[in-house]
Amino acid sequence: MPSIPGSTSETVLGADATFKGELSYEGAMRIEGKFDGKISSKGKLIVGKSAHVTGEVAVAHAGVEGQFKGNVVASERVELTASAQLTGDIRSPRLVVAEGATLVGNVIISPDALKGEPRGASEREQILAASGAPAGRR
Amino acid sequence: MSKAGERRSLLCPRCDRPIEVSKLTKSTLCSGCHRTMRTEDETVSDYQARAEYFNEARVEVAKKGVIISEVRVRSLVVKGEVKGPIRAREEVRIHKTGKVYGNVVARSIAVEEGAVLVGRVEVGPLRKVEPAPAPAAPAHPAARSSHAQAV
Repeated sequence: MPSIPGSTSETVLGADATFKGELSYEGAMRIEGKFDGKISSKGKLIVGKSAHVTGEVAVAHAGVEGQFKGNVVASERVELTASAQLTGDIRSPRLVVAEGATLVGNVIISPDALKGEPRGASEREQILAASGAPAGRR
Repeated sequence: MSKAGERRSLLCPRCDRPIEVSKLTKSTLCSGCHRTMRTEDETVSDYQARAEYFNEARVEVAKKGVIISEVRVRSLVVKGEVKGPIRAREEVRIHKTGKVYGNVVARSIAVEEGAVLVGRVEVGPLRKVEPAPAPAAPAHPAARSSHAQAV
């Protein structure tokens, strides 16, 4: 899968940069360095191949090419390229995972995934229970 | 070379033992766990509620198909609905009409726009399979004693 194209006017956190804290922006952002904290935006986030991101992310479009640990809430889509390693939970209407990507976590992908309150593990269990999935193997 | 001479290598969905069978084989007996395994591509277009749905081949759940079961397959295409844990050695593809409620372990996953997926997902190199539970022993004492005599 080719790398995720970014916006021409994207903010870049370079490969030699480290950032800790909360970050918000408009438009697009590409992270190539280390990030630990919270990101909130109505735009696009690209976690580059050399990036190590830990934390909570709430954006419209999240593209992951590097390492990401944490939870992602994307109002439009989440895209994982072949080099992506994501450990954490995802809530989004759309998910694209390229072959070779690693994804470990709880996932809620549905057109109405973002409606209502954020869903925790217990709510996911309730959904699975209501769906009739065999008990004891969840 | 005849078609029957062509071979393919499979792994038992229960014990992961490698098995070599003819390309035409529809089902076979695992030499490791001595249980039957299906090896034929299949399309599910009805409602199937089972304890387990194991098939070491490509399985497609059609739009009207529903599987309520633990699913272990080579690859899975969901256009209908699957409720239960899924393990696929290759790809799990959820079409726009597909719904999956259950944990998914697979080498890769593709979720089309409009599809529903609720559960824990582990995508990447597959880990060793946990052995499936052995079939329950017969509860009736007479059945047990007749089995003992037969042995």
